[in-house]
Amino acid sequence: MPQKAVPSMKSYLFGVTLLCVVLAAGCAHKPAVVSDPASSAAAPPAQQVMAAPKAEPSPPPSPEVSVKAVSGNLDDYQDIEDPDKGKEVEKVTIADPLEPFNRAMFQFNDKLYFWFLKPVAQGYSKVVPEPARVGVSNFYTNLSFPIRFVNSLLQANFAGAASELGRFIINTVWGIGGLLDPAASKEIDLKKQRADFGQTLGVYGVGQGFYIHWPLLGPSSPRDTVGIVGDIFLYPSIYLGPWEVWAGARVYERFNDTSLRIGDYESLKEAAIDPYVAVRDAYVQYRLNMIKHKGGPPPPGVKGLLENN
Amino acid sequence: MRRPLTFAITILMILLFTMAAYAGVPTDTVQANVNKVLDVLRDPKLKGESAKEIKKKKLRVIYEQMFNDVELGKRTLARNWNSLSVAQRQEFVILFRQVLEKAYIDRILAYTNEKIVYERETMISGNLAEVQTKVIMASKEIPITYKVILKDGSWKVYDVNVENVSLVLNYRTQFSDILAKNKPEQLLEILRKKVKGQ
Repeated sequence: MPQKAVPSMKSYLFGVTLLCVVLAAGCAHKPAVVSDPASSAAAPPAQQVMAAPKAEPSPPPSPEVSVKAVSGNLDDYQDIEDPDKGKEVEKVTIADPLEPFNRAMFQFNDKLYFWFLKPVAQGYSKVVPEPARVGVSNFYTNLSFPIRFVNSLLQANFAGAASELGRFIINTVWGIGGLLDPAASKEIDLKKQRADFGQTLGVYGVGQGFYIHWPLLGPSSPRDTVGIVGDIFLYPSIYLGPWEVWAGARVYERFNDTSLRIGDYESLKEAAIDPYVAVRDAYVQYRLNMIKHKGGPPPPGVKGLLENN
Repeated sequence: MRRPLTFAITILMILLFTMAAYAGVPTDTVQANVNKVLDVLRDPKLKGESAKEIKKKKLRVIYEQMFNDVELGKRTLARNWNSLSVAQRQEFVILFRQVLEKAYIDRILAYTNEKIVYERETMISGNLAEVQTKVIMASKEIPITYKVILKDGSWKVYDVNVENVSLVLNYRTQFSDILAKNKPEQLLEILRKKVKGQ
């Protein structure tokens, strides 16, 4: 693990202050959206809302480090003639002027995960069986239907909007209020769209700006932060009661989601050389792809041209 | 006059058929390798902790057939590749493979019976292709794309995209971040430590 800038005390304090502000604002940012890039469980990446380079995770002793023969042909090790692959580096990186602050927040979220979120989620998953937790997750997904529906419309992704509407009706009526997801079955095959306001802004040409690693919320950018705030108004429960109810529901959702993904963050961290950079990069790649390919995978061929590396 | 025409049509037919077959080779290759991995994972004789090492050994052999280490390493370092000496490059490729093995082996060994669907193949150029697959799990589907290159007559994987996040790009960002502030030797040292598990 690289020796990274040690977050100064100052930035830490700033972070804590900011956290208080966020909390005081009634968790103005809703975790769900962040866990959206996250909903991609297996992705070593985005998933990890809470993340941070912990000192050295001591993993099990490794396979033989012994000197092995050279892999492949010697000729393969020549200089690269056209190192213009660098172009792409420009495309998928993000400015990080707040790095010391961000790293401190990454650290904070890491601790939050290991000391609090994970133990609670583990206890919870011992009491509640997995199918029930998947049901809860489906229920919350169904509840946030307006976000995906409206944003699909805003992005002129009418097929996506129609599919979301169909999913909402089917899952609410035949899926016991959204606990089940019959719409995703083979027969109906309506796929959940990934649409949020940050993505919509991106589709309209708003750039990502720079990187922000929020406490609690994890990876973001100014554009996506505005997106999170915008999406709050599309979340029904905000209109249904006092904010404490809403906040409580979000916190429960977070624990429930975490219980379904224990191990993902750990393996991401284990795989990374610098977990902070790994999370940042995964977030940027994930968001750029979401904007480029709004409403599903790209048509064949186009993708290849765009990301030919 | 008739003969040349028949000849031309025959040639055309042959070309068309071979091209059709050719278009499927990247997918076939990936699928064959993935199936080999699944065979090892599902082998009833290799159950339990004791068989773990045997499984790992078998998977290593398949990995070598399936991936092109050097290509993967080169693309991960990108323009930084040239700032390493040839000996450093060789060490890097081996270390990077070990880092990846350590990082993902347990996840792969934990595989239970998820279904894998081969969705689409895209030719990017004569010797580059993408094979899009999907792993179908109880509560979700995970898109995994293999990027393959034609080397010495066979298609080898040089990048894997999971949920649209490229493994190569993800490590590239991390390595270039390190190399912006450190010498290649220090990067190798970091990797050595990582492999040793410190």
